[in-house]
Amino acid sequence: MSLLERDGSKKIEISSLQYDGIQKCLTELTQKTRATALLLSDINGQLIAQNGDTRQINTSVLSALAASDFAATSEMAKIVGEKARFRLLFHEGETNNVYLSNVGENHFLVIVFATSVTLGVIRVYTKKAVETLLEIVNNSSDADNGKEILNTEFNLHLNDALDSIFKK
Amino acid sequence: MFINWALQEINLKIVYYGPGMSGKTTNLEYIHSKLDSSVAGDLVSLKTKEDRTIFFDFLQLDVGRIKGKRPKFNLYTVPGQVFYASSRKIILKGVDGIVFVADSQKDRMDSNIETLLDLENNLSEEGMDIKVFPWVIQYNKRDLTGIESIDILQGELNRYKVPYFESVAVNGDGVFNTLKAIINSVILKAQKEL
Repeated sequence: MSLLERDGSKKIEISSLQYDGIQKCLTELTQKTRATALLLSDINGQLIAQNGDTRQINTSVLSALAASDFAATSEMAKIVGEKARFRLLFHEGETNNVYLSNVGENHFLVIVFATSVTLGVIRVYTKKAVETLLEIVNNSSDADNGKEILNTEFNLHLNDALDSIFKK
Repeated sequence: MFINWALQEINLKIVYYGPGMSGKTTNLEYIHSKLDSSVAGDLVSLKTKEDRTIFFDFLQLDVGRIKGKRPKFNLYTVPGQVFYASSRKIILKGVDGIVFVADSQKDRMDSNIETLLDLENNLSEEGMDIKVFPWVIQYNKRDLTGIESIDILQGELNRYKVPYFESVAVNGDGVFNTLKAIINSVILKAQKEL
């Protein structure tokens, strides 16, 4: 799922099979917890999958902010003498809460839920879902590897599109 | 780089790096102000009360489907102020391309050099090599008096001969040229590696 490139940067891929597995798990979690929205992201803030009612939520931004939340609090964890970063974060609001849970070292779940939903329910079902998600993200499938996603023709079209949208 | 094969999406992270007050946030603000909301999403800025970036700015560009694929570019800035070193490191994680926004003013040369060394060190700590990594330089504030010549800036800052652009980000001059160049560098690199 994660490959190291020549310049040291990382390429992360999610196969169709993994994506289907992730969506199945997130759908179940949404149904069981009655959460409003769920996001699975990588630790750098890259949104991988989302579920539930996300129409009113800018999920890319939420994912980037949640990643920075984890990053900032992991520095806090170090400062107070924790060996690893905090496993979960909880933000309580007037009408909505946000619960963030690590999924291994490289991913995390963001759960947005109404204050009418109890935290205990979220906690119990999330714990189970995290195990399933970990298995999926760690089980790299190469079913899609080698598919041509970018080629010269793509590049030309991308440049045309950029010229068109950057036109003042 | 993140590829979702099921959705045929390719996501790339571009970071605007540079000394404090060089115009990184201004680049993103200009891009956000000029593009349709269907292309550029919300611009999120985590700022201090004094309007200085405390953590990062974030803007996602979604240029729509191209030959069935959907490239998305996540643009971030880092806080330029020296004491936000750990924030800069965090934001560089998973980066695919960098725009180094240099301040052309003569009295900012030392800050430019210091920040470039900081970038090189931070990339190196993440196992990335600036010599082969996609990045471009933007020499900003070309409209001001008391600026260095491009020759001197090039001599001091562009040791690796990466593409460079002159800009006045506050008016938008050079902003899209810079962005297009880094997108192309990142895509070319991605093509080679896929």
